[in-house]
Amino acid sequence: MTTEHFTQPSIGARLWKGSRPFRPVFVVLVVVFVVLAIAQPVFASAQNLQNLLTSISVLWIVAMGMTLVLITAGADLSVAPIGALAGILLAKLLQAGVPVWLAIIISLLGGAALGGFVNGTLIGRFNVSFFVVTLGTLTAFTGIVNLWSNTESIPVTEPAIINLAVTRFLGLSGPVWIMIIIFVVTLFIQQRTFFGRDVYAVGGSISAARLSGIRVPRTIIMVYAFSGLCAAIAGIVAISRIGVASPQVDANLPLQAIAAVLLGGTALSGGTGGVVGTAFGVLFIGVLSNGLSIAGVPSFWQQIVTGVILVVAVLADRIGLRRRTKATAETGSTPPPESTPVHPETAAKTSH
Amino acid sequence: MTDTVTPSPLLVMEGIEKNYGGVRALRDGRLTIGRPGTVHGLIGENGSGKSTILGILSGQIRPDGGALLVEGRSVSFSSPVDALRSGIAMVSQETALAPLLSVTENILLGRRLVRGRAGIDWKRSHERARSVLDRLGLSYDPRAPVGSLRPDQRQMVEIARALSLDSRVLILDEPTSSLSEDEVASIFQVIRNLSSAGVSTILVTHRLSELFEICDEITVLRDGRTVASGTAESFSPATLVAAMVGDTAAETRVRGERAPLSQAMLDAPPVLTALNVSSEPDLHDVELSLRPGEIVGLAGLVGAGRSDLLEAIFGARPRSGDVLVENVPLAPGRPSAAITSGIGYVPPDRKTEGVVLGMSVVDNAMMVASSGRFRLRPPRTRRDVQAVSDIGASIRIRTRDLGVAVSTLSGGNQQKVALSKWLIDPPRVLLLDEPTRGVDVAAKAEIHQILVDLADRGVALLVSSSENDELLNICDRIVVMLRGRVVATVARKDADEARLSRLSGGHLDD
Repeated sequence: MTTEHFTQPSIGARLWKGSRPFRPVFVVLVVVFVVLAIAQPVFASAQNLQNLLTSISVLWIVAMGMTLVLITAGADLSVAPIGALAGILLAKLLQAGVPVWLAIIISLLGGAALGGFVNGTLIGRFNVSFFVVTLGTLTAFTGIVNLWSNTESIPVTEPAIINLAVTRFLGLSGPVWIMIIIFVVTLFIQQRTFFGRDVYAVGGSISAARLSGIRVPRTIIMVYAFSGLCAAIAGIVAISRIGVASPQVDANLPLQAIAAVLLGGTALSGGTGGVVGTAFGVLFIGVLSNGLSIAGVPSFWQQIVTGVILVVAVLADRIGLRRRTKATAETGSTPPPESTPVHPETAAKTSH
Repeated sequence: MTDTVTPSPLLVMEGIEKNYGGVRALRDGRLTIGRPGTVHGLIGENGSGKSTILGILSGQIRPDGGALLVEGRSVSFSSPVDALRSGIAMVSQETALAPLLSVTENILLGRRLVRGRAGIDWKRSHERARSVLDRLGLSYDPRAPVGSLRPDQRQMVEIARALSLDSRVLILDEPTSSLSEDEVASIFQVIRNLSSAGVSTILVTHRLSELFEICDEITVLRDGRTVASGTAESFSPATLVAAMVGDTAAETRVRGERAPLSQAMLDAPPVLTALNVSSEPDLHDVELSLRPGEIVGLAGLVGAGRSDLLEAIFGARPRSGDVLVENVPLAPGRPSAAITSGIGYVPPDRKTEGVVLGMSVVDNAMMVASSGRFRLRPPRTRRDVQAVSDIGASIRIRTRDLGVAVSTLSGGNQQKVALSKWLIDPPRVLLLDEPTRGVDVAAKAEIHQILVDLADRGVALLVSSSENDELLNICDRIVVMLRGRVVATVARKDADEARLSRLSGGHLDD
């Protein structure tokens, strides 16, 4: 028994295991997609699918940042006014003659700063509940949006921004390319950086993370800054689609983003999930909305179905989890010596 | 109730058994209370089965075998409510009261407040609570919030609650462990009042003096068996300790493989020095030093301040006083600063603090070693995985694959993962709190070996444990704590279980 052998499972096995959280939404997405494609031939046309993707770009981008926030066992309700503020800032900077690239960078940094310095600091450094903080900033930032814009839309004529939505590259519009870039960047952060590990550790057990030397406040601040950055990007994408910086704050946006993240298998309790599942969650919402409107079904039905699927998906996961741990659970009391669910196959496993 | 003398004893537990997986928590638990009003002491080392037998008696745990008779009738409890119906109530160790609610509400919790025409009749509810308090000889204001009471007073409110349910047997699990002597005296007065009113008490305590002061009868548990029971007069402190630790234990269980420290090591300057370390209200003026390669044990009862001391040194709780690492003062309250200075800490509760259950073995094991790295660097590089794999093999973490979530491992293997964090890049000082709690015997021996190997490599270890035999097995020196202070330091050659037990219980005269 001199050396113990640890095997590395194949990539396929790892991907299959990693897909467990979002399998339900993936299956439902495929079923809905196939049914719609058969029932409504228009639905599966390239033109419609491109429109579909463009229409979900704002939700998608916000949901990517929201995913990391939810993995830390938090949520960011303030994304909509942060996006609107970034948009107004951009429009005002352009009006003042600031070069477009600089204006974009400043607006994005502004969004990240609102998320990081305000939300992140209060939550991470002063341990105020994420719900209280982001509900408060949702309200306060919305007020700032209205004050600053006089509740009037500010037109943006800068071609670099307006053309973003209409220019196509390889058949996909600018907002869709931005979606893809944000997705890849977030996936990279999640999987391939220590920061990504910190996010999971903080959500899984904040005290274990702290006792292992992870800078918990800094991690939380960065996560909310990233969410603010995503919100600002979404705000600029929205301008490119409608041509104005709008003072309208869509209070539904964060809730829809949270729903998409949860649909994708990330748990509200933190520590699990990821952006791949979120991508399927957003696609599901988009496909359902688009398909049903083509079919002439009132959009209220889309809300009902989304809500039901959301609860059912989380419930299915909960039941599956209970089944997986049932064999090992004691009769309800906590036994003093040992309450670990011991999986027979690992417990019996000895070295070779 | 009638006063007729029943031939059957009030309470009999016979041949009680309970297994958890492969662990036999109880194999022959016996406990008898003959007549109402008896004060019955229950004593035994940690892991002897006390909590289990009381859990069974109070309906929280279902036994695997044995008989339970109340007044001669065989009963079986499937919930605490069943036990309460038979007149048996448990007053828990951790006070389970709602601090913001009034004394009345806490006593009458669970829809027993008096209902009037318009909602709750507060006046009559307070009167009812006051009458219960009167039976205990207490004069608290029933309107006061429980949070405003002293710890012992809160304990009494719990007793009052149990009493208000017409209990005939009260189980008090270490009611005195966190109380001062005056407070203990007031609890004992209440127990005596109850006794003369015909209510029996089962009292768990680690303090021998308390047993002799208040108990009529004593039962001793060891390794899941009742090894002795009888009237308090039939025991002496010496015979009680002998029954608790076993006749032969004192001689044979002591000392294992570790050689005495060399003179050079004894002469080496300390790597860690604690000066006047306090953390109110649990820790007072602790002085301690550790030399490289030394294993120092922290003995003491639950609540004696062992955990608090480790947390204060590591920065997991605020402290005053100085901690010096090789004569450099360490900033308080920051675990990351402690880690940078070469201090490590393995917390007692591996599930919530030791590991992140949902993360993989590799990610958990690398958490500390990578905590100082730039955050955008990639995790799980080939080198890191190899390092974890080597450590995992050397301490025998049993899993096929280091990528599985730690939650799928057994308790002992989870604990090894919690330890492995500190083995990738060993610190100069490692603090461990209950390093083998809840692991099986084989894993325990392996963990002890890991600790001894670490010390042999020059790491100083401070090991807190409620199991004295564990400390005697691996430590060079044992520091005994009582009520937040260091009360004795015993060299390994002078230590045995009986002596540690006495010192932990406050018998400092030897």
